[in-house]
Amino acid sequence: MFLTIDTNDPRPIYQQVADGIKELIARGKLAEGASLPPVRQLAVDLGVNLNTIAAAYRELQKDGLIGIRHGSGSVVVSRTTTERGQDELLRPLRTALTELVLAGLSSSKILSMVARELSTVGKESK
Amino acid sequence: MHIDPYVVVFDTVFWLVRFLFWVVPSDVWRTCLLLLPAAFVGVQKAYNMDASNLYFVIFYIFFWVVRINGCVRRGRQPLLRGPEWFFNVRVQPDFYRGAGRKILHRYWMRMFIPFAFDVPLAITIFLSGRFPLLSWLILGLCALIHINHSFSVDLAERQARPFAILEAEQPVASVALSLTPRRLRDYTNRNVELALALSPLVAFAWLVRYYFATPEHHNLRLVFGVPAFLLYVQLGILFIKRVVVAWRTSVPQAQAAEHMEAREETRKYYLQVCDWNRAVASAGILFWPIKISASPAGLSHLLSIWFAVWLVIGVVVTVWVEIRRKQLVTLALHARPVKLPDFLRQSEIARWPVCYQPSAPMLILKGARGYSLNLANKVTHLGAAYLIGLVALFVVLPVGR
Repeated sequence: MFLTIDTNDPRPIYQQVADGIKELIARGKLAEGASLPPVRQLAVDLGVNLNTIAAAYRELQKDGLIGIRHGSGSVVVSRTTTERGQDELLRPLRTALTELVLAGLSSSKILSMVARELSTVGKESK
Repeated sequence: MHIDPYVVVFDTVFWLVRFLFWVVPSDVWRTCLLLLPAAFVGVQKAYNMDASNLYFVIFYIFFWVVRINGCVRRGRQPLLRGPEWFFNVRVQPDFYRGAGRKILHRYWMRMFIPFAFDVPLAITIFLSGRFPLLSWLILGLCALIHINHSFSVDLAERQARPFAILEAEQPVASVALSLTPRRLRDYTNRNVELALALSPLVAFAWLVRYYFATPEHHNLRLVFGVPAFLLYVQLGILFIKRVVVAWRTSVPQAQAAEHMEAREETRKYYLQVCDWNRAVASAGILFWPIKISASPAGLSHLLSIWFAVWLVIGVVVTVWVEIRRKQLVTLALHARPVKLPDFLRQSEIARWPVCYQPSAPMLILKGARGYSLNLANKVTHLGAAYLIGLVALFVVLPVGR
């Protein structure tokens, strides 16, 4: 269960942390009710500023993926409780598909890539 | 012609030591040191020395024998990865023929800094005849040797970096951090903890009974002082154990498995050392009521057995430590050293041995001049409070005097 940070990645570090945790939740590595490390602890472990991790956790909370409870830290909440609309959920997919199309990949290639990624995520989350 | 005084001093000492070890090989030196306790038995009989004093001297001599191995091991450390490396710095091919030679020699010289404290203090203790102070000297030297080594290695690596291969000095782009929860109980043996918790309870129950049997004859501080101090030490080691378990850093993604394995084994080793030290403190607590209840005639015999047992345990543990260290070195060699990205620009924010950086949450920052203790960290506050308590207890209670 690894969280990765890449200095060559154009995304800011807080975004990489948030996306990494989202991926772990999607793959079922962080199950519902699992505790996340406290903000201070994760900042120490990664060697980054406290505000970086706080921003990542805020984003995860905004997306309804974690709940921050006073005294017991942050826990992963049920994915079925996510109250986001279909349009909002489709937006990152649309952005990713646009990137792939602009990169010159054919529709069949994109479909096979999406199917492969989906099967990986689906398999691990079961 | 410029004459570097450092080179003159180093070469003189270096050739003198080489000459001594050429005349008398290192094995003979060790044997001589090991024979010293036998000589001291004669001294003990001649001067009617106390049995416990004799054992303090034997422990001190044993400590010197162990340090010869430690010096040899630390001396070889820079070249463990081969001639193209200096510790964890990948150096240019002619490094050891040029500036590297001087850096290496300076590192070797710094290994002897603890001896500069040890020898005069030991001479003073021997001349004053206060041999129990040798045990405190050994404890202090253990800490000094480790701190000196850490700072010395860091300094040597920083001095070698200007001569490193440029590509190898680039930080890795991608790092990984394991989020698998790690708890103290995962590294705890329930039976050992039960024994460690029961021994002070038994000892204190015995001491309460002993004290209340004739309270007018006993001094409260004398009866409870030493076990209270040892219990405080034991709690301190438990605190260190907790810090070691929680300590986590990111690893290079490309070699995550090798680095994780090496770190996990190192963690287990340090936790075992913590448990050994807690067991020593517990044994001391348990022995104290036996000691103060013993008759004056039987006390000398009892102390002889006690110290002899600890000497045997000391030899066994030393052998175990040497074996474990070799295993850890083998594992560490599998993980190729890399430079990790510095997200916090630690070299800019930590310029002194201590710093106050609330936004950088780490306990120790790797600054421009070596390690820097972050005074804004909670562990620093707890550690400082603990040390103040330790000094206060040492002053108030009759420990080691």
